[in-house]
Amino acid sequence: MNELIHKIPLLLMVVVLVALGLPSFAGEYVIHIGVLILFYAYMAVAWNILGGYAGQHSLGHALFMGIGAYTSTYFFTVLGITPWIGMWVGCLLAGLVGWFIGFMCFRYGLKGPYFCLVTIALAEAAVYLVTNLDFLGGSQGMEVTWTGNAPRMMQFNGKTAYYYIILVMLAAAVMLSARIIKRRFGYQMVAVRENEDAAEALGVDTLKVKIQATVISAMLTALGGTFFAQYFTYINPRAVLGEDPSIQILLFAIIGGTGTVWGPVVGALVLVPMAEYFRSTLGESHTGGHILLYGVLMVLVILFMPNGILGLYNKVRGQILHAGLREKKGGAV
Amino acid sequence: MSMLEVKSLRREFGGLVAVHDLSFNVEDGEIVGLIGPNGAGKTTTFAMLSGFLPPTEGEILFKGKRINGLKPHQVCHLGLTRTFQIAQPFPELTVLENVIIGAYTRHPDAKVAQEKAMAVLRRVHLAHKAEALGRELTLLELKRLEIGKALATEPSLLLLDEVAAGLKDSEVDDILSFIRQLNQDGITFLIVEHLMKVIMNLSQRVIVLDFGQMIALGTPEEISHNPAVVSAYLGKEG
Amino acid sequence: MVFSLALLGQALVTGLLIGGIFSLVSVGLSMIWGVMRIINFAHGEFLMVAMYIAFFLVAKGGWDPYLTILVTAPALFLIGMLIFQLTIRPILKDPPINLILLTVGISLILQSLALMFFKADVRSANTIYTHMNIMLGSVVIRGPQLISFVGAGVAALALYWLLHKTDIGGAIRATAQNSAAATLVGVNVRNTYLLAFGIGSASLGVAASLIIPFYYASPTVGQFFGLIAYVVVVLGGLGNFLGSLIAGLIIGLTESVGAAVLPGSLARLATFGLFIVMLLFRPQGILGGKQR
Repeated sequence: MNELIHKIPLLLMVVVLVALGLPSFAGEYVIHIGVLILFYAYMAVAWNILGGYAGQHSLGHALFMGIGAYTSTYFFTVLGITPWIGMWVGCLLAGLVGWFIGFMCFRYGLKGPYFCLVTIALAEAAVYLVTNLDFLGGSQGMEVTWTGNAPRMMQFNGKTAYYYIILVMLAAAVMLSARIIKRRFGYQMVAVRENEDAAEALGVDTLKVKIQATVISAMLTALGGTFFAQYFTYINPRAVLGEDPSIQILLFAIIGGTGTVWGPVVGALVLVPMAEYFRSTLGESHTGGHILLYGVLMVLVILFMPNGILGLYNKVRGQILHAGLREKKGGAV
Repeated sequence: MSMLEVKSLRREFGGLVAVHDLSFNVEDGEIVGLIGPNGAGKTTTFAMLSGFLPPTEGEILFKGKRINGLKPHQVCHLGLTRTFQIAQPFPELTVLENVIIGAYTRHPDAKVAQEKAMAVLRRVHLAHKAEALGRELTLLELKRLEIGKALATEPSLLLLDEVAAGLKDSEVDDILSFIRQLNQDGITFLIVEHLMKVIMNLSQRVIVLDFGQMIALGTPEEISHNPAVVSAYLGKEG
Repeated sequence: MVFSLALLGQALVTGLLIGGIFSLVSVGLSMIWGVMRIINFAHGEFLMVAMYIAFFLVAKGGWDPYLTILVTAPALFLIGMLIFQLTIRPILKDPPINLILLTVGISLILQSLALMFFKADVRSANTIYTHMNIMLGSVVIRGPQLISFVGAGVAALALYWLLHKTDIGGAIRATAQNSAAATLVGVNVRNTYLLAFGIGSASLGVAASLIIPFYYASPTVGQFFGLIAYVVVVLGGLGNFLGSLIAGLIIGLTESVGAAVLPGSLARLATFGLFIVMLLFRPQGILGGKQR
């Protein structure tokens, strides 16, 4: 066990190298899986800033994804403006909406389950709203019209370009996440999560911190929404808004380990291939198999390792490496 | 100008008056005790002073500035920090990280905050436990951490809420001498306590509350002989 | 927007009748929340399970839909208790978010199982009641809806009797008010939670049997009713029995009248809007329920 723990960083390096070079030796299908892994990892990292670090568990984060996806797609298909610009408009819009939601919710002291309920309500309300808006395609959704290989319009032949775009996005999100956690803002978010009153008493402006976390998380999520639209070339209300995609996003963060930088990435890395396997083998005859997987894992994780895969790994690693040095407190939870 | 001026403070909850026309001052460098039977209004007063509860009526002036109605973090920035009766560490953070939160209030830079936090840890004799988790400490260590977190915010006035509760005799002495030391270093204290030993040994002045009103104000000697005080304590569970 | 008195009258009647079901579906959620501070995010999926049970008894077994209560209620009671015992009880002391996520996981499991075994098709049971109608002027009162309304009322009364006139009910209410004090007077709080969860789930069994004559069973039916239940419970006040009943009727009316008066699915938006406003400004509901 000791040996295995020490080998993990090496293993990680191998994973990173493989990730960097994947498109050069893998087939289209494998690259597609890679894109999915990177995409969901990205979305989970974005969610984690509000849900994991700040401890405000949004169950309706797809709202922001939808804002990003619809904004850039509308700009592209209707206004003819490239998604490279549209994505930033969506990002800003999501930031504004996130600010407003954060302000309304946290100003009125919404916490825990109540906050969860509001986020679900907002995401679902968005579904119904968009379904009624014809200029956004209503329930039929919108198609990102294919104009051939057009890098300026964020459209590429094959999957390789998309792969590297999302890889860069993920790397940026992880770096941002890592930077935040080491600085004052990160500490203050965690303080708010762990004990809001104590944080207030120590000078943390808890309202401001929560709103800022919401805004940053929303903006990142919206950028992911644009990527989704460009890669899958089709969006509809149920796919990019509402409860279902919201839960999907946070799943990877929870199972991988919230409150850590790499937890969400680990979650996506482990889950997405499994889900794809289920989807492809059970496929037509038994759709929904991958959702069963998600549900079972969620339940198992909450019951047996609530800090996620990474949380468990850190705990075991900590116990092995510091077994002698750490003062064992009897009955530590 | 007194460091803290409390004028006709009043707090109602529905029809219940928890604090009624309370007025007192705390001078720079003092250690003032706030005592009274259970339900006298001490915790409510603390909550109002630190910004967790707005007063229904009355004024609170800290260093000459009105602070009633301000939020707790704003009050903290002005130099008034409170501790909690039931120690409130951040359970999944290390002891050092716990204190860094407080340090960040004065020092936005990560490196500086960490240095200041370590210095505070040394001051409260918890430096050796810097890497321990908040939830792994003994009661005495938790109390020291509670004070440490507050110290990191570099307060002028520290509100201690029953800091000695639950401690053994020797540990109480430990805390006592520590507070005395901090006072000599320039921190003013307003202390809520049930333990007479602490109040008598530490405070220069004592405010006695009963049913939300001040029934006595004076030196420990004076109030221990005050008949109103004695009957207030004997008349109910002390 | 075609507006006529007759249409409005129809919407009012339908809304009231549907509201009865909303009340019944929500009252269990409200009770569970009131007793143990858990919002069961799989509440809707429990209803879905019951509806499938009722459907198959009616469609394959030829049962009278209302007789299926004899199966669905006990079945849900047992299923509820089993799930509670296996998954919820071990983590009762965890932070609330864990319980939320756990029940989300359970809802995913139940939904996906339904999807896998029964596909996405909607199943509606054609029963002798399905086309029974009563005419009140120009307003059509659908037989099954009326029966479901009456049935919901009876069930609500039964639940009320259970909560206020039996020992178990007393234990449940005591635990809801103050679990520490309840322990002191000899109530086994854990077992009370178990029973309350079972009873709350059983009420869904009753509701399912009542609505199967006019509602489809499908893997996603739980999502709709689940959301409605949250709205009703918040509107009525978490843990407030009477509140849930009244709020259920209100939401039934807003959904129905809204659909008649507003274009498209804007009525649903209005419901959500009301929900969000309640959460922000009056989370204890119109009648006042338990806070956090």
